[in-house]
Amino acid sequence: MTPFDFSIPINPSALTLEMLVAALGLGILILGIISPKGARSGLGWVSFLGLMGIIGVAITMWGQSGELLAGMYLLDNYALFWKITFMVAAALVILGNMRYVDKVGNQAEYYSLTIFATLGMMVMASAGDLMTLYLGLELMTIAFVILVCLRKTDNKSVEAGMKYILLAGMSSAVLLYGLSLLYGLTGSVIMLDISRIIAMQPVSPALVLALVMIIAGLGFKISAVPFHMWSPDVYEGAPTPVTSFLSMGSKAASFAIILRLFITALPGVWENWAMVIAILAGITIIIGNLVAMPQTNIKRLLAYSSIAQAGYIMVGMVTASEAGIKGVMFYAFLYVFATAGAFTVAAYFYNVTGSDELKDYAGLSQRSPLMAAVMLVALLSMAGIPPLAGFVGKFYLFKTIVDGYLWLVFIGLIMSMVSVYYYLRVALVMYRDEPKDPSPINVSGPVTVTLILTMLVTLIIGIYPGPLSEVVNSAAHSFFLH
Amino acid sequence: MDFPILLTILLAPIAAALILVFVPKEENLTIRSVAAAGTFVSLALSLYAYFTYDQSVGGLQFAMQIPWIQDLGVTFFLAADGISLPMLLLTNLIGFSAVFASWNINSRPREFFILLLLLIAGVMGTFIAHDLFIFLLFYEVVVIPIYIMVVIWGSSKRVTKEYAGMKLTIYLLIGSAFLLVGVIALFVKTSAMSGVPDMSFTGMAVVARQLSGFDQIWLFGLMLLGFGSLISMWPFHSWSPDGYAGAPTAVSMIHAGVLKKIGGYGLVKIAVFMLPAGAAFWAPYMAVLGVAGVAYAAMGALAQKDLKYVVGYSSVSHMGYVILAVACLNVIGLNGAVANMFAHGVMAALFFSMIGFIYEKTHTRWIPDMGGLARQTPRLAVGFMMAAMASLGLPGLISFIPEFTIFIGAFDVYGGLAVVGIAGIIITALYVLRAGANTLFGPPRPEYNHLKDIRGPEMVPLIVLGTVLVVGGLLPSLLFDMINSGVVPLHAAISDALQLGGKF
Amino acid sequence: MSDWAGVFIFFTVALVFGAGGILTSFLIQPRRANPVKMEEYECGVPTIGPTWVQFRTSYFLYALLFVIFDVETIYLYPWAVRFNNMQIFTFIEMIIFIFILIVGLWYAWKEGALEWK
Repeated sequence: MTPFDFSIPINPSALTLEMLVAALGLGILILGIISPKGARSGLGWVSFLGLMGIIGVAITMWGQSGELLAGMYLLDNYALFWKITFMVAAALVILGNMRYVDKVGNQAEYYSLTIFATLGMMVMASAGDLMTLYLGLELMTIAFVILVCLRKTDNKSVEAGMKYILLAGMSSAVLLYGLSLLYGLTGSVIMLDISRIIAMQPVSPALVLALVMIIAGLGFKISAVPFHMWSPDVYEGAPTPVTSFLSMGSKAASFAIILRLFITALPGVWENWAMVIAILAGITIIIGNLVAMPQTNIKRLLAYSSIAQAGYIMVGMVTASEAGIKGVMFYAFLYVFATAGAFTVAAYFYNVTGSDELKDYAGLSQRSPLMAAVMLVALLSMAGIPPLAGFVGKFYLFKTIVDGYLWLVFIGLIMSMVSVYYYLRVALVMYRDEPKDPSPINVSGPVTVTLILTMLVTLIIGIYPGPLSEVVNSAAHSFFLH
Repeated sequence: MDFPILLTILLAPIAAALILVFVPKEENLTIRSVAAAGTFVSLALSLYAYFTYDQSVGGLQFAMQIPWIQDLGVTFFLAADGISLPMLLLTNLIGFSAVFASWNINSRPREFFILLLLLIAGVMGTFIAHDLFIFLLFYEVVVIPIYIMVVIWGSSKRVTKEYAGMKLTIYLLIGSAFLLVGVIALFVKTSAMSGVPDMSFTGMAVVARQLSGFDQIWLFGLMLLGFGSLISMWPFHSWSPDGYAGAPTAVSMIHAGVLKKIGGYGLVKIAVFMLPAGAAFWAPYMAVLGVAGVAYAAMGALAQKDLKYVVGYSSVSHMGYVILAVACLNVIGLNGAVANMFAHGVMAALFFSMIGFIYEKTHTRWIPDMGGLARQTPRLAVGFMMAAMASLGLPGLISFIPEFTIFIGAFDVYGGLAVVGIAGIIITALYVLRAGANTLFGPPRPEYNHLKDIRGPEMVPLIVLGTVLVVGGLLPSLLFDMINSGVVPLHAAISDALQLGGKF
Repeated sequence: MSDWAGVFIFFTVALVFGAGGILTSFLIQPRRANPVKMEEYECGVPTIGPTWVQFRTSYFLYALLFVIFDVETIYLYPWAVRFNNMQIFTFIEMIIFIFILIVGLWYAWKEGALEWK
């Protein structure tokens, strides 16, 4: 069976989700072309409802499993869970920011690129070989590059786009070099084969080099220290909805692929990368939180905090176990909601006041109690304060590394309490200070729904994580069934 | 289990808070009434629970258990025993009084009462949760409302309220980070040992007691750090006086009255109960730290001229007794520890509410600026003196018997240290009497002639807490029988484990 | 190590080949400069005016669109060669592929990328 044999039967129904998402993205683009400028704000609703429909389809596919093209494309609950997570993230970003996008213009481009980025993430989640991985990664990255500089007239946005494309290109190059080394050493791009071949041969220096390259290349995508420099600038400059999608979707997708690559393809050299990941996680948590402290711009603050969050998620990779994968997935899911909440508030606030500065958030609790409450809940969930979702997530993550990496547990939990310091500074400004402009902020319907939804989910997962935990268990379990 | 009484007690303040969200913010009286009603329901039901608890049967009663998180072995397990019921009652007594002590809050009252109710619910949750995970959920709920309340409604007399709030919050959170590490490690070790994860106190304790001595020691050490910083164990106490000084009255009441007690409660019901060998190892150190806290804080209180600081340091000093008592690890000591927490809670809350009224009326807490208030505001003076007398352990008031019990228990185990602790009482008498004399007695000052005495709703804290102060003093068996019914089985369990382990 | 000897020889030869060429031309080149020799030769004409001019973005857009359809043919050739052996499904696949590209072209057209302004 050669790879170029066209007669390999492909069951197209296995790719239903990807095809639907691609069709939705194209459909939005076509609708954008044929509809007059004034009617394009309706595209947001079309994309949102379309995504919700596809999420519905995805849920019915729960439990499917299999491989396409001799392991190039893996279908399991693990991939499906991530796909649902990405689509939920995209749907939240779209629902919460329609007015922001109308202000920027280019609705058709914005919505279709958001959906194509989602498609890239979904391909990453299912990738079973290095080429598919790279394909998905680039589809996502290129879509994001355009999204980041969507505000063409804003210098910051263009600067951010420039930085992003340069650093994304560089990290892709590094990653690609690592992947090609891996291919050179094993003669296969299929992850399952790679894992078998690596298990048979001794660890060569070239393999270690490949590992370092891959960690560096993917480290950029999750903005782990020391590969994080790009993210605050890009996060600040990009339009806020894009920032929000970048920090949850792109990061989650990169984690999906990191887990797959390291635990499916490279478990044989686990002892070579576990400590590196653990140390990187520790440094990321410390640096991300410490640098977040003096920030005065809400988007930069959230950017640094999201760096720290990536550090927490990395903790789950260290043991390469089912429990660890579960922790990563659980945390990523709730992180999506916390981030969506915080950034939706930031975007809406920017819409009303034109400012991202923390000091302008003074008295937000009196101008809009809902926005202040959502911001507070989202931030505290990231800090891991019970009874919010972040606490349960951290519990799942850290319980996997108690044996052997106790120092990392200490770092993680102490730094998460330290992070409360800067999260509470936001609370201080919002709750204590009197507003300069006391006029109440009217939150529009879809935004209210997004805000309440993110807050409720964060609270409910925190108090009653049982059901989600069962779902994630089943997803993590399916990871090892190939 | 017919009527979920504990759940109702827990949810009543939350329900009231939810109702408040929809009350227009100008409706001052409605807001206060809803808050009072919510806390009253809880108070009435917890009184009912307290007096219908069957002491002859003992153990966990009013239990309700719902499977919660399967892979962590978490169940939503609410239950009360002889140790948690007094704490639950204390929370509701103080919570109810705190609503009335805050009757005159006029800036953003709706937000204030919502946060206060959430705070009360959070504290109650820790006392009735019988599952370590659920306990943790409630454990930190309280920190954030407190922070917000301090920075909005606090006062910046000596330290700024921002400083006070942040210090309090960060101290407690860092402490709880250590506690969390301990809990997670304990969970991982016990579930690895038994194969079936179980986070309920009793289920976990059975396994945890079989852990090796070394594991028990470091796990207990972490918990001691966490709970110790919450109970303001010396040298982790410095958040306490500053925090109280910055906090609004109701927060000081709840914080000094019940929140700190979560630390003591956790020490007894979680740390000691689950890790007896660890407790046995750390007990001497705890005793030393406890006595050091008693002596140090009493001296500190002596040097203060700000009323809130006096009471703040005094509460650190009283908590020293509790730590000393826990360190005894005998029935008398543990009885004394729990009883003293109850007694100090009532007394401290009364103290802070009276100081709150004094400050509200005179706009000062500076002792040299006051004097002779007993003439102008006699009812306030009565409350103040009752709290003061209870603080120095006057027989006939609630705290005499608990302190006495602690000394008996401690003398058995740590003779010399107990003597130092007893000496602390003398210093306590000194600063309490001095503060009372300089504030209330002496020639009345003309600038305070216009002051109105407390009346109407303002009387509620005095009546509620004062009654408990006297009744508890005259009928100590009401309190002690209950506590004893909880402590005896706990002590039996840990001494069994210690003998089986054969260590120390 | 013998496995790697080939690689080593390859690199050495590559190095010698490149360096040798440069070295030889350096050794045998005529060193007499005259004005005619210093002129541009086959590398363009002498520039007129400042050389830092901006190119129209339209060039770029045209090039981009050209590349897209250029690459399309790479996929079309093998497909066309094997056309007789394939099922109807593959035919539909290619239609979809071309359709997606056409949507792109349509979009570019509509946005005015093909207008030379």
